[in-house]
Amino acid sequence: MNEQKTSRWSESFAGRLLSGLRFPGAGLVKGLAVTARNFVGSYFEKDRLLTELYPEQRPRLPENSRSFPFLIYDGNDPEAGMRCVSCKICEKECPPQCIYIVQDRDAAGKALKRPRVFNIDISVCMSCQICVEVCPFESIRMDQVFEASSYDRFGSLVLTKRDLLKSNEYYHGIHPTEAAETDARIEADRKKKEAAAAAKAAKAAETAKAAAEKKEAPAA
Amino acid sequence: MIQNILNELAADPWGVAGKWFALAPAAVLLLAAAAAVVARNLVRAALALTLSFMALGVLFISLGAEFLGFVQLMVYVGAVAMLIVFAILLTRPDRLRRTATALRGAGPAAGVVIGLVTLGGLLGVISTSPLAAGTKCAPAATAPVARIGEVLMGSHVAALLAVGVLLTAALVGAAILAIEDK
Amino acid sequence: MSEFLETAPVWLKDWVLGLLAGFGVPGWILDLVAAGMVVGTCIGIFLGLFALMSVMERKILARCQNRYGPNRVGPFGLFQPVADGIKMITKEDIVPAAADRVVHFLAPVVMMVPALLVLAILPYGRDLVPVQLDAGILYFFAVGAGTEVAVFMAGWSSNNKYSVIGAMRAIAQMISYEMPLVIAALTAAMVSGSLAPQAIVEAQGPAGFLPGWYVFTPWGFVAALIFYTCALAESNRCPFDLPEGESELVAGHLTEYSGFKYATFFMAEYIGMFAICGLFVTLFLGGWQAPLPALGFVPSWVWFFAKVCAVAGSMVWVRATLPRLRIDHMLGFAWKFLLPMGFVTFLAAACWHYAGRGPAGWLASLAIVGAAYVALSANFSRRFSLERRVYQFSE
Repeated sequence: MNEQKTSRWSESFAGRLLSGLRFPGAGLVKGLAVTARNFVGSYFEKDRLLTELYPEQRPRLPENSRSFPFLIYDGNDPEAGMRCVSCKICEKECPPQCIYIVQDRDAAGKALKRPRVFNIDISVCMSCQICVEVCPFESIRMDQVFEASSYDRFGSLVLTKRDLLKSNEYYHGIHPTEAAETDARIEADRKKKEAAAAAKAAKAAETAKAAAEKKEAPAA
Repeated sequence: MIQNILNELAADPWGVAGKWFALAPAAVLLLAAAAAVVARNLVRAALALTLSFMALGVLFISLGAEFLGFVQLMVYVGAVAMLIVFAILLTRPDRLRRTATALRGAGPAAGVVIGLVTLGGLLGVISTSPLAAGTKCAPAATAPVARIGEVLMGSHVAALLAVGVLLTAALVGAAILAIEDK
Repeated sequence: MSEFLETAPVWLKDWVLGLLAGFGVPGWILDLVAAGMVVGTCIGIFLGLFALMSVMERKILARCQNRYGPNRVGPFGLFQPVADGIKMITKEDIVPAAADRVVHFLAPVVMMVPALLVLAILPYGRDLVPVQLDAGILYFFAVGAGTEVAVFMAGWSSNNKYSVIGAMRAIAQMISYEMPLVIAALTAAMVSGSLAPQAIVEAQGPAGFLPGWYVFTPWGFVAALIFYTCALAESNRCPFDLPEGESELVAGHLTEYSGFKYATFFMAEYIGMFAICGLFVTLFLGGWQAPLPALGFVPSWVWFFAKVCAVAGSMVWVRATLPRLRIDHMLGFAWKFLLPMGFVTFLAAACWHYAGRGPAGWLASLAIVGAAYVALSANFSRRFSLERRVYQFSE
């Protein structure tokens, strides 16, 4: 866009006058004119200054950029809607072994399908996304947070379950395409399961009906 | 004598301070010149010489010869000292410690004798000149610098032209020495 | 009101002295206080200008390069010099082990002192000259020679071959550009008939339809350009900043200096730049005079500092525009172009004066200067013909 502008200026009267100068030392004058134009233009033309004033203007990251993992929950309650079932596949597959999972147990000691402890050490995590690729339950995805620095090297760089749980709406906000695909897949899986359950129930009903008819037939 | 000095100090402090301060450039000049002769490190000797040039310039200014003082600073400190420095840097960058000047024997003794004889001669000439009688010159009607200009362009123009020719010859000589064989 | 502002500094000094005299302070202390006030004000103003300049230069350079300058510290980044000062002061002062400690320590001092001393003769306003010297212009150049000694001391004492090379180049540059500088200054002094800065300003008297400043005459315009170029070279500014070019020689003669000593060199360079801008304004831009008599209600010292700031701003503009010159190009430019041009301008000024300062004089000086310019530039616009390379040392 800037190239178009300068070519238009150099075709203007002032531009052609300046480029036609041929006396010794004309190069200096032309250079000074270019610099002066930049200086004055930087105050009046808004798109000259390409600097992003960082804390005030957030950088626009591409959609697929990633930093560290986070856990997704559906609905409003993080603990209840958490998708993670503590299968520990991501813990095993993580190359630098930065994930630490402890499965939850109920009062009687029976294992529940949820983690009690889920820690990721982001000073170790290398953002390879393998945990995302191997998760069968669409429960861990990559976040885009890059301002994770802290003064405490060992404490604050270990993210606990509470830090990692973020809602599905947040996921839609940062990776819309990916989230839409994930939701579609979950929906398709659910439909398939329902269809299979319905078919199974229909088949069971039919078998029961056939058995009932068969029972009635010899009696008749 | 101490009483006299104190009385004078009370009466006119700046005058007394001025008289003593007028000696300071001379003292610096002598010390710097001595250091330039005696110093082992050649660059430090060159810097001491530069300091002595500066002190001489200041001495000229304090004696009222402003033009001469400024020219001394401009020419000696700005050009001659730089010439000495370049000569040192370009010719002997490695061996900067001078071979120890023998401070015993006939050489230094002859030097001291020659120095004393020169000093005696200069003092004799100055004391028998009209200036020693303490006559004060009348202040110039025009500014001193203008007066110097008038004299240079008027009665001493031959000397000025001769200096110009000399400088041109030196410049041409330097160019010839520096020109490469093509 | 404008007269009060005009004489405000002098009035203030007299008021303070009167107050002290009323307390029975002896005469010699009053003299000391008077001198102290003048010196303190002068140095204070220029240190403030230095601080402002260091941030304005970065911001102007940035805007010329389509970016923001420093804008974090203070409104529009104007407190940046405070942050820079704190940084410089708290840095560790490292002196190389093999360096000559005494000379290494004294070099920033010897650099700073001439930069401050030359501020004494500039006429800041109608009655505001700290020291009235008959040969003021000569004093300026004489004291400026001390800077070259300081550069040598800095380069040599660091015991570092890059510093020595940088120092030699810097000294060669300063000596080469001092000649056209002095000749251009003497042109203005010759036409004014005096070497005293106050007299030169007053000789650029009241206006015709153009102000009577020397920059509006043909020889004066050329002399001003020569002076400006040599001023850039004397203060080691772009495009003549090879001695401190980072890509060539690390920092040249300043390589081994860190912390406050570096800040002192930096300060000396900027104050020297302001001083030489001040001299430029005095010699060619009419000093403290207003351009039009109608604008005479603005105090004279405001005009002086406005012009100095404008010239300093133009130096930043030049810095943003031009690339650095190579050392042989730089010296060739000085000796082969500026020096002959300086002499020709001197001649043209004399012709202008002896032709009665009328239209004949204007035409004559314009013709002389134009012809010399064309002739000398022909020297530089030769096309480089590519010859067959001869390798001397390969068999």
